[in-house]
This record gives sequence, C-alpha cells and structure tokens, in this order.
Amino acid sequence: MIEVIDLKRNFKSGDTTVHAVNGISFSVPDGQFASIVGQSGSGKSTLLTLLGALDKPTSGSIVVDGQDVTKMHDHKLIGYRGRKIGFVFQNYNLVPNLTALENVMLPMEFAHMPRARRKARAAELLEQVGLSADQQDRKPGKLSGGQQQRVAIARALANKPKLILADEPTGNLDSKTGKMIFDLLHDLAKTENTTIITVTHDLSISGKTDVTFTLHDGALVKT
Amino acid sequence: MNGITRGIRNAFRNVTRTTALVLILGLSLGLALAMLVANQAVSDKIASVKSSVGNTVSISPAGARGFDGGGTALTETQLAKVDALAHVKSVSESLSDRLTTDDTNLQSAVEAGDLGQRFSQRSGQGFSIEGGGPMGGPSNSSSDTGAPTVARTFTPPVTVNGTTDPTNLSSGTQGGGTFTLKDGKVFAGDSTENVALIGSTLAEKNNLSVGSTFTAYGTTVTVVGIFDAGNTFSNNQVIMPLATVQKLSDQVGSITSATATVDSVENVSSTTTAVKSALGSAADVTNDAEKAEEAIKPLQNIQSIALYSLIGAVAAGAIIIFMTMIMIVRERRREIGVIKAIGASNVKVAGQFMAEAVTLTTLAAVIGIVIGVAAANPITKMLVDNSTSSATSQTMGGPGGRAVRGAFGGVQSSVTNITASVGWDIILYGFGAAILIAIIGSGIASLFIAKISPAEVMRVE
Ligand SMILES: Nc1ncnc2c1ncn2[C@@H]1O[C@H](COP(=O)(O)OP(=O)(O)OP(=O)(O)O)[C@@H](O)[C@H]1O
Ligand SMILES: [Mg+2]
Repeated sequence: MIEVIDLKRNFKSGDTTVHAVNGISFSVPDGQFASIVGQSGSGKSTLLTLLGALDKPTSGSIVVDGQDVTKMHDHKLIGYRGRKIGFVFQNYNLVPNLTALENVMLPMEFAHMPRARRKARAAELLEQVGLSADQQDRKPGKLSGGQQQRVAIARALANKPKLILADEPTGNLDSKTGKMIFDLLHDLAKTENTTIITVTHDLSISGKTDVTFTLHDGALVKT
Repeated sequence: MNGITRGIRNAFRNVTRTTALVLILGLSLGLALAMLVANQAVSDKIASVKSSVGNTVSISPAGARGFDGGGTALTETQLAKVDALAHVKSVSESLSDRLTTDDTNLQSAVEAGDLGQRFSQRSGQGFSIEGGGPMGGPSNSSSDTGAPTVARTFTPPVTVNGTTDPTNLSSGTQGGGTFTLKDGKVFAGDSTENVALIGSTLAEKNNLSVGSTFTAYGTTVTVVGIFDAGNTFSNNQVIMPLATVQKLSDQVGSITSATATVDSVENVSSTTTAVKSALGSAADVTNDAEKAEEAIKPLQNIQSIALYSLIGAVAAGAIIIFMTMIMIVRERRREIGVIKAIGASNVKVAGQFMAEAVTLTTLAAVIGIVIGVAAANPITKMLVDNSTSSATSQTMGGPGGRAVRGAFGGVQSSVTNITASVGWDIILYGFGAAILIAIIGSGIASLFIAKISPAEVMRVE
C-alpha cells in the first residue's frame, strides 16, 4: 500500500514560484498497476521523483508500508531507493560502459547482495525480459532502444522492489515495441505482486491499467 | 565487479584523453622527481662540503706558507693556547722539512722538468744541487739550447712531514689528496719512534716496502706503511711522527703548520678570531669555511630552485588531475544521478571516481619515474654547471697559498662533481605523490559528486 497525503513541491526561480505538485493525495494498493497522465508540464515527472525519494517534497507525506518516506534520514533513503524502488526511465539511463548484465548487477551490488548470486540473478532476469545470452554481454550502445528498455526493466527488478516507477517507458519506442514493453510491465505486476506506477502519454496504455490518475497544473483531476 | 574495478575501467573510457592526461601528468611528475633528486644530491653535497672543510682553521708561522716565504716556526707552547680555546676540538700539528742528499739515501721520484729547472735557477734556494758532469748531464730540453749554461741539475727534494695526524694530507707542505694505506699500518699521532709512511711513488723509486729501512738525518728509519694520495706530489713524501722529526732535525718544540678543528661550522669564524688574538703577529691564521660558504652559495640557490620546481610540478599535477576529474564529473552527471537513483551512496560514487583518479595518476607515475630517472642526472648537472661556473672564476681568482689552494681547490672541484643517485625512495615518492594528488583531485571532485541530485535522471535531454 502506498499512500500520498497532500503532497506539494514548489520550485523557486527568481521571484516566481512554480507549484509543480500542488497538494496531491491518493493511494495505490499493493500489486496494482497505476498510470499517471496529463499535459506536458503538469507535474508527472516531479510526482514520480518524490515517490521514488529522489527529491524531497516541500510538504506532505508519502507512506509506504506504514513508513513515512519524507521523514527518512538521507542514508536510510539510499537503502530505500535501492531496495524498495525500481526505476524505468524514458531514455533508459543505462551506464554506457557496462554490459547489459553488469548494468543489471549494479543495484544488487549497492544492496550488498552476495557477489556469487548477482550474476546468476541478472542473467535470469535478462532472460525473463527476453534478452539472449549474446545480447546480455553487449554494452547499451550496441542494443536497440527496445532492448535497452528491457535491460532497464530487468535492472529495476533486480532487488525485488515493492514499487516500480516508470516515466514514459515507451516514449522513445515505436508503438509495437511500446506495447510489448508495457505488456512486460503488466505481467510483472501480476506475477511478482509488484506495484507499478507509470507515467504515460499513450491513452491506449492507460486504459488497460487498474487505475489512472490525471494531473493538471500539479493537481489531480477527478475522473 | 565493484566500485574499484569500475573506476579502473572508467579510466580507459576515453583512450585519447587518458593518453594525453597520463603523458602530461607523467611529465610533471617526472620533473618533480628530477627536481627532488637534484635537491637531494645538492643537499648531500652541501653537507659533505661543510663537514669536510668547513670546520677547520689553518695556522702557519707568519710569512710562511709551506716552503714559500720565510718566518719563524711556531712553538708547541703557542699551540697549546689554541688547543685550550673554547670550541677547538683538536689541534693537529706538523713540522715540514726537506731532506738533503747529505742526510738521506732516498732519491726523489719526481723529475725536475721545466718548472723545477726554472725555479732552481731563479731562486737559488737551498735545494739539493748535484754537480752534473757530462756523463750525468741533463737530458732535458733546457740544455738543448746549446748555450754554455752552468750545468746545475736540480732534483726536487724529498719532503718529510712530521705530523700528529698522519692520514691528513691537507696541511703544511703536503699536496692534499686522500690518504689510502696500500700496505702496512699507520703510526700513532703521538709516536716518538723512528718510523715512516712512504708515498707509493717514492717507495717504488727507492725499492722500499714495509719493514725496509732508509736513512734520514743520518738515522735509520723503518718503513711501517706505504700510502697512495692519488697525486704525484703527495706520493713523493715521507710522513713521520712529529716528535721524531722535531728530534732528528734539532727543532724540538717547533711547528710549521697546524690545523685546529672547531666543534661546528658556525663557530669557525669566531674561533679564527680567537686564534688570531691568541697567537698575535706570530702566525697567519686562515680558514676554509668562508670560502667554502661561497662555494656552497650557488648550490644553495640550486637547492631552492629545485625545491620550488618540485612544489610547482606537484601542484601542476594536482591541478591537472583536479581539472580532469571535474570535467569527467560534469560529463557523467547523468550517470552519477542514475547510480545514485538505483542505490549508490555518495561515498560509493566518490570511491569509484577516486579509483579512476588513482589509476590515471599511477600510470602517470610510471611514466614520471622513467622520465625522472632519466632526467635527474642531466638536470642536476645542468643546474650545477650553470650556476657554479661564474662563482668558480670569482673565488678562484685571487692568489691563494698552497694550503688553501689544496683544500679549497678540492672543494671547488667537488662542488661541481655532483652525481644524482636515484634510489628506491624516489620511486616510492613518485607513487606517493601520484596517489596523493589523485586523492586531492578526486577528493575535491567528490564534493561536486555529492551535489548532484539523483532527481536529475528524470530530466530528458
Ligand atoms: N528542477 C526544477 N526547477 C524548476 N522548475 C522545475 C524543475 N523541475 C520541474 N519544474 C517545473 O515543474 C513543472 C512540472 O514539471 P514536470 O517535469 O513534472 O512535468 P511533466 O508533467 O513531467 O511534463 P512532461 O510530460 O513534459 O515530461 C514544470 O513547469 C517544470 O518547468
Ligand atoms: Mg516528464
């Protein structure tokens, strides 16, 4: 269960204050697949960075498993991000000079998983998202966008997170590949009982999710 | 795979940049090491110059210098006053004399040559002069002129030095050099026996070996040792105990030269003054310290040049690696954000960058050590030659007495004769400096790393 209560994030630039997230409250039960839609600049990415503890809110709280994430100490937040959250980004954000396999092993290293288990788990995950053994040993530059996004999903799953946050994961992909990636996420949510919150512009995708939140100027629009 | 191996791998992500950086950094480290070696070599030299000549005061009878000039011999009573002075550690005394054919069976090992002929004809001093008949006539060039000159053949005399410090060749009429015992033993400074140390060429000429005897002052003297001083003049002399020479030559209590050793270089000039006032007009008192100081001055300049260059080169290296790390951090902003977003701590990221910096500087250190080792000697030589050549002509200009010339000439030539030796410590310093500048460079860069927010990853470029 993830519960967001009156969440606000302001950005000050000079005299003006941008209310990127302006008093949002909602909750998503475990294992649900939620989508966030909204116009450009409506605050979708900002909301996601707050949920992933990449940034601190101006006010409000985010309660995950009864723990208020916004009140955690910095060093605890590192562990929270690494173990409880998996990120999938629009532009994949893989580390360019590491192979697909090494990219997937990275969060396991940060979460202090025993060295011996990392490689086996990474290979297993990559196989699950459909990467061949040959592709697993390639660096991101030698993989297609769709393949890179699969690696990113495998990386997001590495530490068996409670919550996967995806910011327009299909935004850089053609509609067919996008649909495949989306189905992959959807299946995972069901089989692993992982909560997924994804930002998307694609209404055909949002229609298939358990719940859809629509943002406008940093606030939720009742649907 | 961990932060360290990632860091090492990252060092080779941009091969062109890495190569350029390693070369530049290697060059600056190499220069730093060469300067360090030069600095060490010069300080060692300064120390040895100071300790070898810096702390003695030479005393000779007024107006006398070796066998040049005149004057009246000093007495042991006078020198006892010198020995009693504060800061004077010891006084070594000697009495120089020349053996004539009347009182020795020794033959000089040195031929007169042009110089000897000229001196003998011009000075008419009491050198041993042999009547030269047609049979034993000179075969040297001066007689080839065909002029009916008086056939006066000059043979350089055999010098005898009675001394309390038999292995010190720098005083009195001795020709300087380093005493090396070839055979036998050295007699004690306070010996009164009829014993002698014979220079190697003189021994050869007269077929003397340890245990042989010869005649001096009409007395039989036993050879106890053969020495080599490394120069012909010194090797043509007899060294005997002071007391023995005083007794045999009927000059009991007389001293023709003494050297007072002062406890430290700093006290040499005050002690020189004290000795002068103790002996009054009876003695000429000089010291080498002041001249040694002047010889050392250019070395001290080199030392500071080397030190500043060393500091400059290390600082340049630190700045180069620091700038590079900043550049790399800026370049990998997003990547840093990503690995922070997936659970890496600031320390972890900084550690990875530090490993990268250490890899780069270690490679540079290898190149730097090669350059440093190769350049150390040429650079040291160049610095020393350039800055001592002018000083040499200045300080050597004036006419100096032989004692001073002997000792001080040694200082001068040894000042320029510096060999920079590269030891293991230099290699350790090289790697130490490399790691130090890597830590400084990446340490500052890690402040920038800490500032990068993981929220940056959400931004689409
Ligand atoms: N770091 C920041 N500093 C200042 N303003 C910011 C910052 N991040 C976001 N904003 C502002 O907050 C508002 C919301 O931005 P956000 O990136 O969340 O929009 P979005 O809904 O993700 O848009 P898009 O669909 O184009 O990605 C925008 O007006 C943006 O300019
Ligand atoms: Mg966005």
